[in-house]
Amino acid sequence: MTLAGVTAYALSGADTVGFAGGAVAGVGAVALVAGIVLRLPFAIPWAVLLAGSGYVVARVHHSVADGWAAIVGAALLLAAELAAWSIASDGRIREERAVVFRQSAAVAALVAGAALVSFLLVGAAAVSATAGLVLTGLGVAASVGAVAVILRLVR
Amino acid sequence: MTRRATPKLGAYAALSGFGLVAALVLGRPEIVALTAPFLLAVGAGLALRAVPRFTAEIAADERGVEGDELGVRIIFAASATVDRLDVFVRLPSGLDVVDGEQARSLRLARGEQREVELTLRASRWGAHRLGPVYLRAHDPFGLFVSEGMLARTPEIRVYPREDTLRRILQPRDTQLFTGNEVARRKGEGIEFADMRPWAPGDPLKRVNWRATARRGELWVNESHPERNTDVILFVDSFAEARGRDAGTLDLAVRATAALADAYVARRDRIGLISFGGILRWLEPGLGTVQLYRVVDALLDTQIILSYYWTGIDVIPRRTLPPSALVIALSPLLDGRSVDALIDLRARGYDLCVIDVSPVPFAQRPDSGIDAVAYDIWVLRRDALRHRLQRAGIAVAEWREEAPLQAAIEEVRAFRRHAPVTRV
Repeated sequence: MTLAGVTAYALSGADTVGFAGGAVAGVGAVALVAGIVLRLPFAIPWAVLLAGSGYVVARVHHSVADGWAAIVGAALLLAAELAAWSIASDGRIREERAVVFRQSAAVAALVAGAALVSFLLVGAAAVSATAGLVLTGLGVAASVGAVAVILRLVR
Repeated sequence: MTRRATPKLGAYAALSGFGLVAALVLGRPEIVALTAPFLLAVGAGLALRAVPRFTAEIAADERGVEGDELGVRIIFAASATVDRLDVFVRLPSGLDVVDGEQARSLRLARGEQREVELTLRASRWGAHRLGPVYLRAHDPFGLFVSEGMLARTPEIRVYPREDTLRRILQPRDTQLFTGNEVARRKGEGIEFADMRPWAPGDPLKRVNWRATARRGELWVNESHPERNTDVILFVDSFAEARGRDAGTLDLAVRATAALADAYVARRDRIGLISFGGILRWLEPGLGTVQLYRVVDALLDTQIILSYYWTGIDVIPRRTLPPSALVIALSPLLDGRSVDALIDLRARGYDLCVIDVSPVPFAQRPDSGIDAVAYDIWVLRRDALRHRLQRAGIAVAEWREEAPLQAAIEEVRAFRRHAPVTRV
């Protein structure tokens, strides 16, 4: 549902590029549905990537940062979380109500937090002027550092 | 417990990294907004990850009889919150869940003690090792799982269901100890045997005064003493015919337990020989303790495929006393056990065979060459029984649907009327 919403939003651009982006996002939605039905967990990141790429393609001609990007990002995370839950869920295992409630609360809190953070980022991007080479360099370094920290923690 | 990252963590990290780099390359702030949620999920998951701290123990009813319901309890005590703990109890065949869930997910709060109960039905005899119990603990965002299992699980001993026997087989010879079997020889006892003239040393209480008055001299009564017997239960575990729920070995074990119970109640000595791929034996003994030994040994009986040609020479001599009654329970499917039975009879043992029939476990094909083969197999079984009977062995076929008592009565009838055969 959430990926379908992302697809619909990408299609709302109503130009050729917007349709192309919507089509890519639609393929992502179909991939996610197929992954859930066939219980293929590796389909989730590809589906999210396709949906996100579709949205980005649809925004290519827009020079202004989109305020709804935060909602789209949160929707992608929600879709990924719910899909992962669906695939991991086994009908033979009886889940206690407390487990389901706790997991729902965790997903809701995560998505709400993610939406808030994304809003802040989009807001910061909207108010900032042209950054210049130094700030771009800092951004690259921060990104690479963030990925490195993640990989280190994962190991 | 073994801790590992789930594929979700790798996927989210990859999406985050790809998104950040793409945002820089394309210079689109929206991509950062799309990536940030996944980065946040990874960061939160890594920040909140913790080693699950809890203990788990399993306890179960250790003994039961076929058909009984047995309780199993798994007790958890958590010293830190476990958001999701998946528990799966692997059950051996022969134990079925009646109440409760074999697999379930639960949440343990910090300091909480939980007891998960499971009710099982023992559908088959045997020594069943419960478990292992698999445990899998998830972190709050599902990025890490810790997996382990309870290695020490209890053993549930399910004893075979027993038929009630009103009459059992009486051996030809008795032993020295007092029992319920009237001996053929004369001695101190209750059962009247004969009269004879008085001899010095005969006690006064044995004088038959009526006979003395008629004959004019002292005559005394002679009696048969009540003695115990040695009974060896011989279980053929070379091969079995098995259906979906039962097999000839199940029937043989149940019958053996019933016979052991009946003979112990008569104060007879019972022994056990499990003759098959693995030879097991118990020397004859008396009493309830011996009964438990026999039944416990029966629980470990199983069919073990073996091509080793073995005979009764491998059976320890003390396990087969010379004047013991040997009751064999066999499906007569393996030539080695048939030869061993004939060998036992040839050595003069008082031998009876209850043929635990495999025929009900084999469906007759409707037609064709298979049907002919089936008929020939059934005829060959009849011929084999006649061969044993010609050797002086009392044989009765016993099928699942018939009571064991019927087979025992057939053996009794044969022993009463059949001529003595020397092999």
